[in-house]
Amino acid sequence: MLLPAYGWLLVSVFLPLGAMLVFSFLKTNPFGSKAPLVFTTNNYLAFVTRPYLVGVAWTSLRLGFWTTGICAAVGLPAALAIARATRGRVRQTVFLLTILPFWTNGLVRVFSWTMLLRQGGILDDLVHLAAPGAASAGLLYSFPAVVIGLVHAYLPYMILTCYLAVASIDDALIDAARSLGARLPTVFATVVLPLALPGLVSGSILIFVPVIGSFMEPRILGGRIGVTMGTVIEDQFTQAYNWPLGSALSFSMLGVVLAIFAACSGVLRERLAA
Amino acid sequence: MTALGRGFLALVLLFLYAPIAVMVLMGFNASDLYALPFSPTLHWFSELAGNDRLIAATRNSVLVALVTAGAATVLGTMAALALSRRSFRGKPLLRLLLLPPIAIPWLITGTAMLVFFFWTGIGRGLHAMILGHVALAIPYVVLVVGTGLAALRADLEEVAMSLGSTPLHVFWAVTLPLLAPSLIAAALFAFAVSLDQFVVSYFLAAPGVATLPVEIYSAIRKGFTPEINAVSTILLGASVGLFLVFAALTRIGTVERR
Amino acid sequence: MVRSQWNRRKFTSTLGLGFAAALASWPRRSSAAAAGTITVLNWQGYGTDLAAGLRQFKAATGIDVKHDYYNSEPEMLTKLRTNPGAYDVVLVNSARDAQAQVEGLIEPIDLAKVANAAGLAPAFGTHPNILIDGKTYGVPWVWGMNALAVRTGKGLQVDSYAALANPAFAGRGAVFDDAVTAVAIAALMTGQGINNPSDMKKIGDTLKSFKKDVKLIWSSEDEWNKAFAADAFDVSVFWSGAVTRAVNLRRQPVAFVIPKEGAVGWLDNLCIPASSTKKDAALQFIDFMVDPKFYAEWAKVGAPASANNATMEALPADDLNKQIHKPEYLSKLQFMGALPDDRRQAFADVWEEVKAYYAQS
Repeated sequence: MLLPAYGWLLVSVFLPLGAMLVFSFLKTNPFGSKAPLVFTTNNYLAFVTRPYLVGVAWTSLRLGFWTTGICAAVGLPAALAIARATRGRVRQTVFLLTILPFWTNGLVRVFSWTMLLRQGGILDDLVHLAAPGAASAGLLYSFPAVVIGLVHAYLPYMILTCYLAVASIDDALIDAARSLGARLPTVFATVVLPLALPGLVSGSILIFVPVIGSFMEPRILGGRIGVTMGTVIEDQFTQAYNWPLGSALSFSMLGVVLAIFAACSGVLRERLAA
Repeated sequence: MTALGRGFLALVLLFLYAPIAVMVLMGFNASDLYALPFSPTLHWFSELAGNDRLIAATRNSVLVALVTAGAATVLGTMAALALSRRSFRGKPLLRLLLLPPIAIPWLITGTAMLVFFFWTGIGRGLHAMILGHVALAIPYVVLVVGTGLAALRADLEEVAMSLGSTPLHVFWAVTLPLLAPSLIAAALFAFAVSLDQFVVSYFLAAPGVATLPVEIYSAIRKGFTPEINAVSTILLGASVGLFLVFAALTRIGTVERR
Repeated sequence: MVRSQWNRRKFTSTLGLGFAAALASWPRRSSAAAAGTITVLNWQGYGTDLAAGLRQFKAATGIDVKHDYYNSEPEMLTKLRTNPGAYDVVLVNSARDAQAQVEGLIEPIDLAKVANAAGLAPAFGTHPNILIDGKTYGVPWVWGMNALAVRTGKGLQVDSYAALANPAFAGRGAVFDDAVTAVAIAALMTGQGINNPSDMKKIGDTLKSFKKDVKLIWSSEDEWNKAFAADAFDVSVFWSGAVTRAVNLRRQPVAFVIPKEGAVGWLDNLCIPASSTKKDAALQFIDFMVDPKFYAEWAKVGAPASANNATMEALPADDLNKQIHKPEYLSKLQFMGALPDDRRQAFADVWEEVKAYYAQS
């Protein structure tokens, strides 16, 4: 049962990544030069030798927390609303509308956000229509702009995973709690939240991980602010052509991600091992 | 409560569709710098008809996404079933192994694949892209189906087993129908992951064989014209149509209340 | 492209996946290129893929031209390395010639066989970037300058790169996301050589002084155009040829300014990969590309300056390209030259650190 999936992963992901891991210990790119390979661990000391990277990593983590947090805060209620406030054809429509944005190209979506967010852009115009005297303001090229773009890209993931978790909550369970006198917040905390937890957790993984590696949204929406681990790593591959450093930085980032997951492993173990 | 929930959903959908509305509108706007005010035209759609590269890329994208969705859903579901219904040593490790494909930036995975595929003779092209996309989609499928399985009541399967059904029969008669919404969601995920996948495709594309995101990215340098919006709009329209047909045939999203 | 049938068969059958095998037989036009076809590796939309030119070339020689594109110079080198035999002509920034030559990626070219190269500006035909060990490795094609683009119509006076550190332009500046260009501009400002600055600390500090002004770090001409059209900035590091396109094709209110510190010059040349199997056809194509007649065609949609003197002289006097790319600049410009790997890395590192500094709130 497991063999096909993991065999596939082995060939297309793990063996290539193994090669990359070897790369990360090289001094220079293995391509093109005929010089013998020189191994070094210096690339993993990047955070020491380049202290500015600590600030960059912190920016990436902040992006990850903000985006995941907002997605959870919006996605879970949205999933609950789909499960409880709609039914039949309406639910079907809402459900489809939630995943339809996936069918459009990410780059095009980010690009559309620039038109909405910039000074003198569409949102700015709308604000002026509503409040003619208001000062002209643009969100583009700022941290919130990047978060908006990322939330937009990943919110459907959270809604989907949460919906799958809460869809099966029995009406009777909630009715029973209500009839026993539990107030709504209590029902939410004691009945809904525990049942929704697997959805929240898998949604968070699906969002947090790609967000801290993202480079397209920070680059296009962040302007001067948009320097993240993702853009630094991308630069190493496309501009600086320092693949060993780029690989070492990615594996370091993977380490950070795993450490964060390990810290939350209490929840993970309990819920995902079920 | 219901009104409140629906109002909230409307707000969420407004947020999700604001940039998409912009995308569609700009496909009908005359300015190639995406400048306002809006002046309507069908120019970009007619340009598109003569843009063989973009059309071929769109076809490739859809093809790769379809194959990816099918393969990843089958493989991922098998893995998810094994991971959730059986206990064996090394399970936590296997779960952990699902993370790298999504945790490592696609840029790294993409370059790694390029180097490895080149070295082993697999080469570049659509077959290489499918190899890559399926691998990236499997973890999503396992997570989505796994979540669905966690919410599924194992006791139903046990009851069926105790009534003398074979495991295979239980799967077909009990598990699969209950799991259907998750499976469909997982397939849609896999399809979307592939359709929007740019980085890996970018590295694995053979000269002259691109997918839509690769073509769009290349277009950035030359000039991102509203033709891109036009083709995105058509693709969106086609998906909506597909969805409507699909929705008429099945009942996704309508998990029956028991 | 190396295609080992055996490996792939073994691989797919091991996995036992029928559809992968079916895909292995997927028709691939690229591998079955006809004898009369050459493949060019270039930036997209950079002259060689101009439809009118390709039609004329096909009519004159019967040779079809296919394209593959790159989005960065390292990517161009990677594609040459990992696809031996796939390309017949490649556009190379001449600052990269030495690197490609050392790796054996490009072949010497006999300029005598390229009839239209006779009109080349003398400074280019023997440019040290191209002439390596007494052999010519590329045909100079187009050149340009990286300096400042300034919005017109606002009465702005800019005559120095120091404008990018001027509080009067706070939040109204943009820089090019390219380590070599960034370092070069700081080197010009601090009186150092652009290809081998002695004081990297000073370079970094100079670039950091732009922080308050920098609104956008652009990476493509298209991104620049859209942001400029939306009035996101007034002063920017930009390419000379791109300014002529912004004015001629997009009617943008912008002027190209060469500040008192000077400008950064670059020269693109057309090379033949050592692994090409159709070198004669490749030479024919290069000859066609440096022909003034083709340039005239390309100039209609916005070409950079031609390295061919005859071509530039043929342009009308009021041509913006001619006005901006004055021949007398050629002796004064500092041209981007070959960089050893460690220096290139040092440039990349300082630029990465500067960008991180820009991003701090």
